[in-house]
Amino acid sequence: MAIAVLSCLHANLAAVEAVLADIDQLGLDTIICLGDLVGYGPQPNEVVELVRERGIPSCQGCWDEDIIEGLDACDCSYPSQLAERRGQLAHHWTASQLKAENRDFLAGLPFSLRRGRLLFVHGSPNSQHEYLLPDMNAFTALERVDSAEADTLLCGHTHRPYVRRLNHGSIRVRVQKPAGAATSSSNLASSEHQLDLPLRRLINAGSVGEPRHGSTKATYITVDEDHDAVEIREVSYDVERTCQAILNAGLPPIFSWRLRHGFEYAERADDAAHVCER
Amino acid sequence: MSQILLISGPPGCGKTAWILKHFQAHLGPCGYLRLPGFADEGLQHAEDGGLDQAFLCDQCPELMDLADQDVSLASHATNLLACLEIPQFHHPAESGLAGIDRRLIPQLAALQLMPQCHLHFGRDNELPQQDTLEFSALEHHSLPLNGAVWDPDSLSSFWFELVNGAYGDIFRAKAHVNLPDGRGFLFNWIVSQEGSQFLPLLELESPHGRPTRLSRLVVQGKQLQLNQIQNTINDCLLSDAALELQQGPLRQQQQLPTPSP
Repeated sequence: MAIAVLSCLHANLAAVEAVLADIDQLGLDTIICLGDLVGYGPQPNEVVELVRERGIPSCQGCWDEDIIEGLDACDCSYPSQLAERRGQLAHHWTASQLKAENRDFLAGLPFSLRRGRLLFVHGSPNSQHEYLLPDMNAFTALERVDSAEADTLLCGHTHRPYVRRLNHGSIRVRVQKPAGAATSSSNLASSEHQLDLPLRRLINAGSVGEPRHGSTKATYITVDEDHDAVEIREVSYDVERTCQAILNAGLPPIFSWRLRHGFEYAERADDAAHVCER
Repeated sequence: MSQILLISGPPGCGKTAWILKHFQAHLGPCGYLRLPGFADEGLQHAEDGGLDQAFLCDQCPELMDLADQDVSLASHATNLLACLEIPQFHHPAESGLAGIDRRLIPQLAALQLMPQCHLHFGRDNELPQQDTLEFSALEHHSLPLNGAVWDPDSLSSFWFELVNGAYGDIFRAKAHVNLPDGRGFLFNWIVSQEGSQFLPLLELESPHGRPTRLSRLVVQGKQLQLNQIQNTINDCLLSDAALELQQGPLRQQQQLPTPSP
């Protein structure tokens, strides 16, 4: 059975509609959303309401969390003062626009969703704000998947879609006993344990509403559980419609310019291992 | 024996870069004078707020300012290389010295700086041939930034947006910018050439508050959104508190005293 996984909608209604139409055309009934329904984009209510109407199970993203928890629930992920100012402006605007029932919907979203051995999160099993980038350290990637007791971890947040297979993983641990427990006065007794791990996968769904993969097209993924197949799909949408909506909403024109050119609204933090320490 | 050159050409053709290269190759004293040009050519487009002169002075600390009358009188010092730079859109009517705009002669005579050679970009083969632009139809804006210090990552984003047309149809951008650690850079970009130049200034300021060197952004283009440029710059510049937050650890590393409030 195949499912569609989308993430990082960012209040971009034209992009969400185009992706849902593509999913419908594929005949997929099961859709899972990895969060960030709002933030930066001009149609937060419309996008939340569309997800609610379609009954799409969703995780809570970092923007969804920030809107509920207050400004800068995590303020450590902005790479520059400029990005932070723009992020704050977008946050205040979104918070001022969001209807109470839509805010409540975002507040009620779970941190993660599970489907058998598939785990769905926004950022990582540790935090909605952690970036799991495609080139991150293999051990860290393996740890994130395995500690979540999953075979496949599906995430978003980076806005760059990818599939990473973690083959032949093993964790080796040396346990060194305290001196009192040693059998010899000169040597500490130690034992070594090795845990061989089966194949793990880390799959990123990219972004529907704010692509960051070098194109303006919306991205999402399909996962065929029966055939162990993953497809990254790119969908064209009416970018100009969203750009005009940005201007009509009174959001900064630079948001429109960046979206039109396939640049994210604000840059992400460069530290792949970044973990919010709130 | 001194050598006095008059270098003319339109904005962005590489006059200052050519002059710097020759100053750096010259073994004796060097002198520089930037002439304003003539208003009938629309030369407000060439106005750089002193950026070129400040950059040359930074790169050649012993450079003589030939606008100074006392220095000018000494311009016949042995082995002096004097470069007089003038923005000029139109091609000279004649080659060599005969092509000097007649209106310049009294100014040069008063400064005792009659050139032995006149080179014009686009005419003389001694100069590099570069694609130059018709600047006379462009808007020109000059934004003072004296004392301003940029958040480095924000500066990178702003410059990227600026030269890629986020704030209007940009043709030329040039700036002296200050970073919190005391470094200064010349940022230079023109639409007809690939990429930006990011040239570090030689003079370092100590990380004690705001720098005193000249700082300015000059842009030329069409339908430039000046308010948006200014607003973005404001979002990129460090407050006193943010600046101190960055400079304090630097002073500790360098074992410099903390300034009194």
